[in-house]
Amino acid sequence: MRLNTAQFLISQAWSAILRNGAITGAAITNISVALCVLGVFVLTAYNLQAQAMQQAAAVEITVDLAKDAKRAEVEKSLRANERVKAVRFVPKAEALEGLAQRWGLDFSTLSRVGNPLPDAFRVVPVKPDDIEAIAEQAEQIPGVAEARYAQQTTTKLLKLARGIKLAGLVAVIILGTASLLLVSVTIRLTIYARRREVRIMQLVGATNWFIRWPFLLEGWFQGTTGGIVATALLLPGYAYLASLISSNLGFIRPVQSTELMVALGIGLVLMGSLFGVLGSLIGLQRYLQEV
Amino acid sequence: MIHIQDVSVAYPKGIQALSGVDLHFERGEFAFITGASGSGKSTLLQLIYRELEPTRGQVIVDGHDVSQLPRHRVPLLRRKVGVVFQDFRLLPMQTVWENVGFALDVIGATKRDKHHRVPLVLELVGLADRADAYPDQLSGGEQQRVCIARALVNTPPLLLADEPTGNLDPVISLNIVQLLCDIADRGTTVLCATHDTHIVDAMQRRVVALVQGVVVRDEKTGGSYDAA
Repeated sequence: MRLNTAQFLISQAWSAILRNGAITGAAITNISVALCVLGVFVLTAYNLQAQAMQQAAAVEITVDLAKDAKRAEVEKSLRANERVKAVRFVPKAEALEGLAQRWGLDFSTLSRVGNPLPDAFRVVPVKPDDIEAIAEQAEQIPGVAEARYAQQTTTKLLKLARGIKLAGLVAVIILGTASLLLVSVTIRLTIYARRREVRIMQLVGATNWFIRWPFLLEGWFQGTTGGIVATALLLPGYAYLASLISSNLGFIRPVQSTELMVALGIGLVLMGSLFGVLGSLIGLQRYLQEV
Repeated sequence: MIHIQDVSVAYPKGIQALSGVDLHFERGEFAFITGASGSGKSTLLQLIYRELEPTRGQVIVDGHDVSQLPRHRVPLLRRKVGVVFQDFRLLPMQTVWENVGFALDVIGATKRDKHHRVPLVLELVGLADRADAYPDQLSGGEQQRVCIARALVNTPPLLLADEPTGNLDPVISLNIVQLLCDIADRGTTVLCATHDTHIVDAMQRRVVALVQGVVVRDEKTGGSYDAA
């Protein structure tokens, strides 16, 4: 494309944006709202998944030792596993004390009866997903009587986290398609308002790409601006809400990571640009079929 | 320059716009296409710039059969054909200057070229002082003159004018058609569809008369307009 032509096409797009201020504003508002809804959904899904993973991560594996076990060797084997984050030795007296506390019994009375509990290790996995594999491997170590963990709770939490991830992905695809359609309808309205203009361009010998470019640039501008507006609304809003929740509801800890915010912001702006350009292409196709 | 061979155009619902038309126009020739409303004047012009395709026959412009032209080459044909529309067809959001310059932008003319040619052609149609006005700020006659300026600015080898004087007063009309004749004398083929009897009489040029899509008269130096 020649520089002259490029300059002309950009100036065409810019003057159309300025002249059709109301339609441009409506398109940007639509895109921002669609992307905000998408962003809220992504954040919600991300937080729900993070909560489920956090709960699952709190689950430990209790590795009971056999009576004749060599403690140091078992510990060495446990620590050798890459998937293990931490290993803590729990002597059987400590275990009994914990039991007494949980059940509300007097520890000294209970210890006089005798301590049936074995010495054990508490093992924390790096990833909650690996809990089952770690337990199985631990049971293979000589001297280990049994490896136990709250299997049902962990499995349920992990299932929930995976479910949320999948549902989030499906919902993002559905919401993304809906946003794209919304944008393409909005841009089609812009083109419909200027269909006469498109026809005249064709009649004075403009090629289809010559006609397309200003609309694509316009769509890109609307989409990108929509993405920036959505980011500007969503991120500070989320940060405020997250700090409000953490300070008032201690048991819920919303994700407050800069990486997530930056990724979401960039994602929304890129998605806006893509939707704007694709929406324009889809919207224009019909009008460019007549020659 | 233009060969129209056994051309017929039928619209849906069986309306026959043109029937078996055979015409030939030389380079630099000026011809009036006359006839009452619905006689097929506009249809004939639309075939030449491929707004329409014939149901039968061939339309050959500058050696190319335009009805066989692939779609991507249609814009190139239209760059060689300046068209003055009956209903102006100006870009409503662009100024007079931009509307005229647009035909140059489409062919990738330089800024310098544009700044040279647009004022010249606006001067020619008497709109030099309205260059910054938008179409809705102009009278019908002025809008038609912008349309003529846009068609002329490329100096195309072929100029089609569909009722170019429909909205102009008699004196301006005559000036405009004289201008079209001058352009033809410089080598551009000009076809002018009109039902303005005074102009046809005044110019004494070739007249092709149509009645219900059939050529009923083709005289080298027409005049004495007969609506037939």
